[in-house]
Amino acid sequence: MGFYLKVLEITSLHTILVLGAYLMTGLTGLFSLGQGGFLSIGAYTAAIAFLKFNLSFPVCLALAVGMGVLVGFLIGLPTLRLHRDYFLLVTFGFGEMVRAALLHLAQLTGGALGVAGIPKLVGLPMIILSIVVITVITACLKRSRFGRNCIAIRDDELAATLMGIPVYRHKMTVFILSSAITAYGGALYAFVIMFIEPNLFNWLESAKLIIITFVGGVNSITGAIVTSVVYYSFGEFFRFVDVWRDVLLALAVLLVTIFRSQGIFGNWELTPDTLLFRRRKAG
Amino acid sequence: MNAEVLKVSGVSKNFGGVAAVADFSMIQRENEITGIIGPNGAGKTTVFNLITGVYPVDAGGIWFYGTETTRRPAHTITALGIARTFQNIRLFRNLNVQDNLAVAYGVKTHYTVWEEMFRLPRVRREEKEAGDLARSYLSYFGLEKYATYFPYNLPYGLQRRLELARALMASPRLLLLDEPGAGLNPREIRELMGTLLKIREEKKLSMVVVEHHMELVMKICSTLHVLDFGKKIAEGRPEEIKKNEQVLQAYLGDEV
Repeated sequence: MGFYLKVLEITSLHTILVLGAYLMTGLTGLFSLGQGGFLSIGAYTAAIAFLKFNLSFPVCLALAVGMGVLVGFLIGLPTLRLHRDYFLLVTFGFGEMVRAALLHLAQLTGGALGVAGIPKLVGLPMIILSIVVITVITACLKRSRFGRNCIAIRDDELAATLMGIPVYRHKMTVFILSSAITAYGGALYAFVIMFIEPNLFNWLESAKLIIITFVGGVNSITGAIVTSVVYYSFGEFFRFVDVWRDVLLALAVLLVTIFRSQGIFGNWELTPDTLLFRRRKAG
Repeated sequence: MNAEVLKVSGVSKNFGGVAAVADFSMIQRENEITGIIGPNGAGKTTVFNLITGVYPVDAGGIWFYGTETTRRPAHTITALGIARTFQNIRLFRNLNVQDNLAVAYGVKTHYTVWEEMFRLPRVRREEKEAGDLARSYLSYFGLEKYATYFPYNLPYGLQRRLELARALMASPRLLLLDEPGAGLNPREIRELMGTLLKIREEKKLSMVVVEHHMELVMKICSTLHVLDFGKKIAEGRPEEIKKNEQVLQAYLGDEV
């Protein structure tokens, strides 16, 4: 039982991270390889605040989110003026920079030894509750002005500007929200796996978040969640496939991009209406 | 004389040494339709891009109802009440027809991101307004049954109409139409002329039209500006322009 619980915990933690990436890469089309950086910032902030400064657990979580927002703002300020591949490269650099910083600021972070002895304060109920809250918020954002603006910016930035959307400011909001969610996920992560080190989440892990978002369907939160749960639990439950997990993912990505470029779920969302096969009224 | 809507004064724009627009001026008056015509590459679309703030001007100034818009960011110019359509249709491919209209209503909404996160009452109310207005425009343009379609699944003529509907969503005071008749058949062009005149009456709108289709501009515009190589070579009422030597030369070339 303990094993399966652990798998579920890790899987649902990753789902939080996928939701963070979904807002940015899925809805808004900003490809960031820096999610790992924000995860590490959240994890280290919470862990150090708890262990070295003896702050209470909720305060540590709030600090982690605050740090995510702050760093997100500072990194977003210059990078969000960049386009596509340049943005990708700079966020990649940011992720690696965080890793290097954690490695070398040994007095605070423990360097390569990491931070050990973090108590296990987070269980499955709290992670699930977090997923529910974040999903509800994301879904609310998606179905009103915010979400429409995200998609408009992704589709055609110039036309979006001329519809009166403040593109740069909107991207900034998205970036900060995504960083906050990711840092929060990182903080939970620290209190689940109880040991963190600088190589916790490298850029390949960040890239997986993007890939999962795309395989699931950039227009579908349902797609992002389902794909993430399947991907992260699959390898654990089917240990015998082991190294073939990534090969299978690669194959899935290939098939999806060729045969279903809108992602597996396309525009489909799980709502009370679609659940009961009711036809949705226009609007 | 009607009030001044738009004043463009001595505007120039160079792209790497090529003068796309040179010293262009025009005055747009309320409730009038003005045409900008000229051969391909004459700088007509660039004039629109300068008015809407897509590029900054190199020289000159632009005023909208007396407010200078010359150095304003593009999205704030839209918020002041200038809407436009595009030469190559630019609809949002991942938003359905209804949401394409709702995007343009964004400048009219007042709710904040925090309210959106929890769908508070103001969000619901303003979203309903957006939906109602979008539906009314869809039926105005005969598109109501396509509300949940994605724009690029619609026939070309309907996409053009959809773009026009989207431009009207934010209740602009000035509408810039970039080749609204491109790719339409003669029957659709006639419909378009009727629609434009009707919109102008009902919405008390002013319009600037960039167009190649001579019948269309001659019939609906009260003033025409003729551009050639970025310079204005003539200005006047359609019947004057028709007889203008320089204009004929620019369009038809020198006699052999």
